[in-house]
Amino acid sequence: MTVPHNNRTMIAMLDTLSRDYLHGKEEVLRLSMIALLTGGHILIEDLPGLGKTTIALALAGMSGLSFGRVQCTSDLLPSDITGLSVFNREEGHFTFLPGPIFNNIVLLDEINRAMPRTQSAMLEAMEERRVTVEGITHHLPDPFMVFATQNPSDQSGTFPLPESQLDRFLICTGIGYPPEHLEKGIIAGGGIRERLEGMTPAASTADILAARKSVENGIYLSNKVVDYIYALVAATRSHGMIQTGLSTRAAISLAQASRAAAFLEGRDYVAPDDVKGIAVAVCAHRLVMRPDQETADMGGLLRALIADIALPLA
Amino acid sequence: MVAISSLTAVLSYAIALCGIVPLFPFLTVAPRVALAAGMLAGIRQDRRGTWPVKNWQFNLAVVPVFLYYALQFSRANPAQPVVSALAIMLAVRLCGEKSVRHYLQIDALSLFCLASSSLFNLSPVFLFYLALMLLLVAVSLVLLTFHSLDSRLILPRAHLRKVLAVGLMMPLASLPLLVIFFPILPRTQIPLWNFLAAPATRPSGFSDKVEPGASAIVGESRTIAFRVEMPRQPQQQLYWRGTVFNRMDGNRWVRDTAVPPEQLQYKGPRIAQTVYPEPGPSRALFSLDAPAAIALPRARGASDGIFEYPGPITRRLSYGAESVTSGILPTVTGIDRAFYLRLPSRIPERVRQLAADVKRHGTGDARRLELLEQYFRNGNYRYSMRDLPTGEDALEQFLFEKKQGHCEFFASAFALLLRAAGVPARLVGGYLGGDYNELGGYYLISDDMAHVWVEAFIDGRGWVRVDPSSFARNAGEVWGGGKQRNPAMKLRLFLDSLDHTWNRAIVTYDFEQQAEIARNAGKRLQKLEAGKTAKAALPYLLLPVALALALAVIVRRKGLFTSRNERLQRRFYRLIERDCGIRSDPGRLGLFEAAGLTGNDRAREFAAIYAGALYRDRKLTVHEFARLRRILRDGFVTKM
Repeated sequence: MTVPHNNRTMIAMLDTLSRDYLHGKEEVLRLSMIALLTGGHILIEDLPGLGKTTIALALAGMSGLSFGRVQCTSDLLPSDITGLSVFNREEGHFTFLPGPIFNNIVLLDEINRAMPRTQSAMLEAMEERRVTVEGITHHLPDPFMVFATQNPSDQSGTFPLPESQLDRFLICTGIGYPPEHLEKGIIAGGGIRERLEGMTPAASTADILAARKSVENGIYLSNKVVDYIYALVAATRSHGMIQTGLSTRAAISLAQASRAAAFLEGRDYVAPDDVKGIAVAVCAHRLVMRPDQETADMGGLLRALIADIALPLA
Repeated sequence: MVAISSLTAVLSYAIALCGIVPLFPFLTVAPRVALAAGMLAGIRQDRRGTWPVKNWQFNLAVVPVFLYYALQFSRANPAQPVVSALAIMLAVRLCGEKSVRHYLQIDALSLFCLASSSLFNLSPVFLFYLALMLLLVAVSLVLLTFHSLDSRLILPRAHLRKVLAVGLMMPLASLPLLVIFFPILPRTQIPLWNFLAAPATRPSGFSDKVEPGASAIVGESRTIAFRVEMPRQPQQQLYWRGTVFNRMDGNRWVRDTAVPPEQLQYKGPRIAQTVYPEPGPSRALFSLDAPAAIALPRARGASDGIFEYPGPITRRLSYGAESVTSGILPTVTGIDRAFYLRLPSRIPERVRQLAADVKRHGTGDARRLELLEQYFRNGNYRYSMRDLPTGEDALEQFLFEKKQGHCEFFASAFALLLRAAGVPARLVGGYLGGDYNELGGYYLISDDMAHVWVEAFIDGRGWVRVDPSSFARNAGEVWGGGKQRNPAMKLRLFLDSLDHTWNRAIVTYDFEQQAEIARNAGKRLQKLEAGKTAKAALPYLLLPVALALALAVIVRRKGLFTSRNERLQRRFYRLIERDCGIRSDPGRLGLFEAAGLTGNDRAREFAAIYAGALYRDRKLTVHEFARLRRILRDGFVTKM
């Protein structure tokens, strides 16, 4: 099988990360990589202290991309993120000071602590990939990826993200506690933040852009798999507990993410397994449940739906 | 999606038809009209969904009809009024509005109608309608249980299929019971209420007198006279002897029952036959000319070589016969010459002269027979069934003017001339020819093969069979060529063999006979030479099999013609279940997922190769296919 060179680089990068730095976080790492390769953003939803920030830092360090961080609080203003113009008295005009969003990987920590106004400004920048400050449009760097984290919304002092904003994240996932033996190792060895500082990048920006290009153009998506994706989307639309099923944008995202997943598996075609493996992360947060079913576990529901759809095997 | 109400309606009409069709020919006009009208009105009203006349009004209207038929009922005519009332009740139910109760009534009435048709006729068609009706009724009953719950129920096709399968399974499951019930339940060999009715007269069949000149045209009927199970014989030997006419009264030959005693000698090989006569008014027991013995209780042989039953053959029976087919019957002692030389009181002058000529020229019986034969052969006579001489002098006209007639003319004139010329002669009535049914191994003799020929007594030789009809100049056309076995004929013979089997095995069922058949079949099987029977039966056996196969293929084409990929894929999943214990419902576990779970490199390779072709939308290459086959053959047992 012919595997493109950049593919091997990416896989090697993932392997190094999960082997040397982030034990027991393979799945989150894989999903982050998929988001990076498809130009999407990722929302990590879990309790504090499980390594959300570490993952973002590690990914940035390994891929050699610039890293910016915004710690969201309830008094955070949009300009704290985008940056602002400052009057330069010597030169007699305003100079634009770019905010932390002008980085390749931006960690928006605890995004649901920010005010809706600030949230919406950030999410708009995510979507448009540019920022307009005082009439001047500034383009964000490429690749650009938002790595948002969120505490489960039942915690106090949070502004839950509205559904329409959630839709802008390609992937939404949890982390979960590491397995027992790994956690014991982590306890014994202490944090790895310091080690992350001294990381040598395993890839360049150009590598990432090339990989992203091959994901977009070099992965074959068969009609059989398209049918499978469609069957999945259609099933969410006719389910009794779901008010609004998956949108066409969700289906497109699912196809893109599947391509990236296939790429990371070292294949140049998408298999239904890829779709199946990524569907919950890509789709669950986009479902809008009926009012009386809001507390239902959307991931579990989606898994049950997928289990009912026959894979195209012949 | 099928509405259950329309389905039950259609089914009940089909069931009604199964009951009506076999009974219809035996009904009088009024019930026939009522049934047809009731059926049409019912269908029309069901389609429109309105029933202007209520059921109670119908019920009321039927009461006088009942009274009428009740008055008609008598011991002489027990069946017809009952059946008519039954038919009218069914007609009324068909045209009224139908609830579940009414549907059940229709089913029951139809079943009664079908059953009552067996009072009039016992034909294998009954079995067909019965089987069809039982299937339909079973399905209808299942559907009616749904209907009674909710008449507006609409069933999806998949459910409907299940319901139909259940409905069809019920009668099929009862089939084994048939094997038990068939031998123990009583049965009749004749239609119960029809045995007094005289069978239809036979226009051209065998009769108890020979009277040429009675009508100008003779019809031909293909009604079956009898069947004879025996090996194939040369066609020219197929003279079936029935009776002998030994006295001529005026124009007609009759049988004088005071037959002078004589003793016939049967020399030569004997041919065994089993004869199955159709019930009819005749008492003659037919067999190949000439029968030496007939094995049937109460059958009486006469000294002129014929056998008779004491009364008309009213039920289906069979008898064995042994015949000598040489065509010459020597006698031990002489014969009563005077008896066989008797002449009618009035003989036409020209006949008398012709006979005198023969007598003068020929010395001895043999020579005279020869001369007369020559006269017929040179006389330019034609065999014909039409434009026959009629009237008192029909024979004279035949001999000297018209010169055309059928076997009765030839035989009567020939025998008359023989007697007039001093040669003892008599007429033998019976049948000539027969269609051999290879499938059943029997001859089929129909009424249009009825024939009359002559036996002349030649001193020193005995009774010699002479067939004057064969002296006709067109005899070759009539008998020589034999009938072409066209497909229609073959089909007729095939259907007849079914009929024969039905009569033998069902109507005249008797345990000993069945045991005999089984024994014979065993014997025949032992000395089976891939013979003609098998060859002849093959197309008829293969045709339904082929049809059934084609149907099965069409219905299950998806399941049968699985693609190569499908087979590979199924085998893969079976193997990982067997070798690695990874169980999954079909289509629920992805290839890579499954391969990953096995932790087996060969399974991973399989998934990679197979999926690589499948999800790239290309076919497997020959090498890939071979590799996959090898992987599957080796299995996925992890070697320790």
